[in-house]
Amino acid sequence: MDFGFTEKQEKLRKAAREFFLNEMPEDFDPDVETMFSLTKEQTAFWMKFQKKAGKKGYLTPGWSKETGGLGYGPIEQGIVEEEWGFTGGRWPNASGLHIAGPAVQVFGTEEQKKKFLPGIAQGTAIWNQAFTEPDAGSDEANQKTTAVLKGNYYVLNGQKTFITTLIKPDYLYTLARTAETEPKHQGISLFLVPADAPGITYQAQGTMGFGTQLNIYYKNVKVPKENLLGELNRGFYHAMAAFEFERSGTGNPANAKRRLTEFIQFCKKTKRNGKPLIKDTDVRKTVAKMAIDIEIQRLIAWEAVWRHSQKGQLPPKGYDLSGFFNKINSTQHPETMMHIMGLYGQLRSGAKWAKFAGKIERRWQVARSVHPAGTLEVNKIVVAGRGLGLPRIPARFNKMIAESLQPKKK
Amino acid sequence: MDFSLTEAQEKLRKEARAFLEKECPERLVREMEEDDEGFSPELWGKLAKMGWLGLAYPEEFGGKGGSFIDLAVICEEMGRAMLPAPYLSTVVLCGLTILEAGSMKQKTELLPKIANGERVLSLAMTEPESSWDGTAWKPEGITVRATPSGKDYVINGTKLFVHDAHIADYLLCVARTREGKKPDDGITLFLVDAKSPGISVEILDTTAGDKQSEVTFKKVKVSKESIIGTLHKGWAPLEKIIKKGAVLLCADMVGAGQRVLEITVDHAKTRVQFDMPIGINQYVQDHCAFLVSEVDSSRWLTYQAVWKMSEDLPCETEIAMAKAWTSDSHERACWRGHQVLAGVGYEVDRGVLPLFSRRGKAKQLHLGDSDFYLEKLMQEIEQWPPPEKFRGKPLGIFDIPRGKQVPSWQPWKERWEEIEKRKKERKKKKK
Ligand SMILES: Cc1cc2nc3c(=O)[nH]c(=O)nc-3n(C[C@H](O)[C@H](O)[C@H](O)COP(=O)(O)OP(=O)(O)OC[C@H]3O[C@@H](n4cnc5c(N)ncnc54)[C@H](O)[C@@H]3O)c2cc1C
Repeated sequence: MDFGFTEKQEKLRKAAREFFLNEMPEDFDPDVETMFSLTKEQTAFWMKFQKKAGKKGYLTPGWSKETGGLGYGPIEQGIVEEEWGFTGGRWPNASGLHIAGPAVQVFGTEEQKKKFLPGIAQGTAIWNQAFTEPDAGSDEANQKTTAVLKGNYYVLNGQKTFITTLIKPDYLYTLARTAETEPKHQGISLFLVPADAPGITYQAQGTMGFGTQLNIYYKNVKVPKENLLGELNRGFYHAMAAFEFERSGTGNPANAKRRLTEFIQFCKKTKRNGKPLIKDTDVRKTVAKMAIDIEIQRLIAWEAVWRHSQKGQLPPKGYDLSGFFNKINSTQHPETMMHIMGLYGQLRSGAKWAKFAGKIERRWQVARSVHPAGTLEVNKIVVAGRGLGLPRIPARFNKMIAESLQPKKK
Repeated sequence: MDFSLTEAQEKLRKEARAFLEKECPERLVREMEEDDEGFSPELWGKLAKMGWLGLAYPEEFGGKGGSFIDLAVICEEMGRAMLPAPYLSTVVLCGLTILEAGSMKQKTELLPKIANGERVLSLAMTEPESSWDGTAWKPEGITVRATPSGKDYVINGTKLFVHDAHIADYLLCVARTREGKKPDDGITLFLVDAKSPGISVEILDTTAGDKQSEVTFKKVKVSKESIIGTLHKGWAPLEKIIKKGAVLLCADMVGAGQRVLEITVDHAKTRVQFDMPIGINQYVQDHCAFLVSEVDSSRWLTYQAVWKMSEDLPCETEIAMAKAWTSDSHERACWRGHQVLAGVGYEVDRGVLPLFSRRGKAKQLHLGDSDFYLEKLMQEIEQWPPPEKFRGKPLGIFDIPRGKQVPSWQPWKERWEEIEKRKKERKKKKK
């Protein structure tokens, strides 16, 4: 048992922190600045910054040196992510770093690795994860986008929705149906699609907090055969395996801790009815509870990272509660903080009279976004099913049940 | 980072589990709950033989020189088995306090006897006035007086919720010997023979049927030699050990919670209603998933505190987090169990869940509840410094008023232009 880090790891932490502190502009406030719909200047800044971090190896410290990383293990990767999370910044290529990149690492051919990984490690490329469709949300296997092999190309047709990006993407890591199968998840494949391929159109979605989501339409999009990732018709399994990387985030609790730390300062400085907020018994209890929530999230995330670092030596656990706690905390904490602020809580950043720069209001809106990588409910189903071995109705009965729900014709 | 136990610790756990499954079956727990004494001297003797009673004491005092992690592992297993024994009172709260503050003579005399099971001790600390809230565990709560009288002291007053006093050979009585400038100045620890004239013990009827008592001290004479530690300065060592006790109580609750989880999941898999195991229903799955989250969260908070304590690292925050959370989390875990087990969860004769939840209530309150530790935690975290400032050159590109932030990429820009256009049109119309 050891809840600490080695000297070497602490050194890495310090170096990463110093780098981030030195590079992040003084006038950047992670909870005020929008981080979406970036202006020209903002786009340029974040791309430049991402590349700088890439040069230092801080984007992918856990990748091998050959693939542009620092050759560290999962723990070191977790440390750098924790430091980055604490700054409150977001890499424009978050989906590439956490989802598409690891998937290419594991399932890619040598050519694919050579072609795609350097851009991710160096911070030059932007990837989106384009899985969700109007009829394929939680039911990811219900892919209606088709990919049909024609000569040397797969031809893609369909629509993706809720695809997150901060900046114009270079590649789409996408799912499409390659066979009509029963069960339906056995006919799906993964593709690495150049984002500027003819036939792709992008449409902005307006979402709470002003949105970073897109509708993406594929119309006869030609994707070279060699851009199929992994095995044909095994894409669903590959994608689920790669999700594991996204779910074990040490960055989220670090980010939450920054906000709580700032909120504590706010409660010290701000008087309500003549008394500093921090002296109020209810406020004290609530703030302390949030600190515990965040610590739990940190420990749960680290347990997952540690397990990952012990791969092969430990039996798999079957479930990971990082997402579960993140989804609960990141929705409940802004609500709790807003409650403390009374009527002022509803003032947006920039508004006259806004308290605490309107940061909490913004978090409150953004907190309604916690559904990527499976809703809280889906997370619980995974814990119950895969983790605890509780039964579920086999998918082959779904259609039967649906039919039985149809009103009877006379 | 290492979330696992060492091989030796795993072995200890295995041994403990096997021993307790054999020697402390559910039947015994149920019997002891009903029993007037609630204590099996035979089992206590076996614990001594296993070396558990002296586990954490140095070998020179008849102990095994085990680590604090070893102790936590054992406590976790005891919680799982609901061991009805005065372990926390005797071995931890009193024994470790003696080890911490006692004189060489006291240690050589008492610790080996605790280790071999000859002596049972009980901490007499909380009082009627202080038992409404966390004051019970604060120096402010200590009002029972010990007044000097010649060579001796005389103790007068009532202690309440004293665990295991009815079977104790000695009571470690926390008494006030003077009104100091601060509440913690003037507290002295007396090791009192429980058979001394003037002491009366009356068992209280509690939720868990665990044996907590009212202990009345009526002109009880104690000698100066019975003081553990320094006169007036008893608070510091006591507080230190109470914290250890609180963390070990958390480990106990983790073990109990894990068992509640197993019982619940097992029931969800085997109980059939509407022709299917009830665990197929998502409501039931929801209870089970939350139960896992309660147990896992408590486990890691607890073991982080355990580890820090065993490494002698500062850990006020971690202790407070562990007990504040685990107390209530265990209560919630039991509640989830009751929801899934429904009827049989209420049935004492067949099920064990009632035993777990009743005992959970006692553990939740013992050594400080969540309110108490949340306040302690707050005192730590309000010292957190603000996040360090970013040092990069200011760019002046971030603080843009709402609506004036022109997106650079086409899809966003289109949407922005669309909104601006609509705004303008509406304005025009109004004019
Ligand atoms: C901010 C944001 C960013 C996103 N970014 C991306 C991205 O970058 N790439 C991408 O591919 N997708 C992205 N998504 C999509 C996200 O993955 C889906 O929203 C999510 O999987 C849920 O799907 P849905 O919204 O269609 O909800 P639905 O699947 O329609 O679910 C609606 C409700 O029903 C529940 N439900 C559904 N099925 C079950 C079941 N079997 N049992 C119990 N409850 C069930 C759900 O839990 C939920 O409460 C993003 C979404 C958001 C909000």
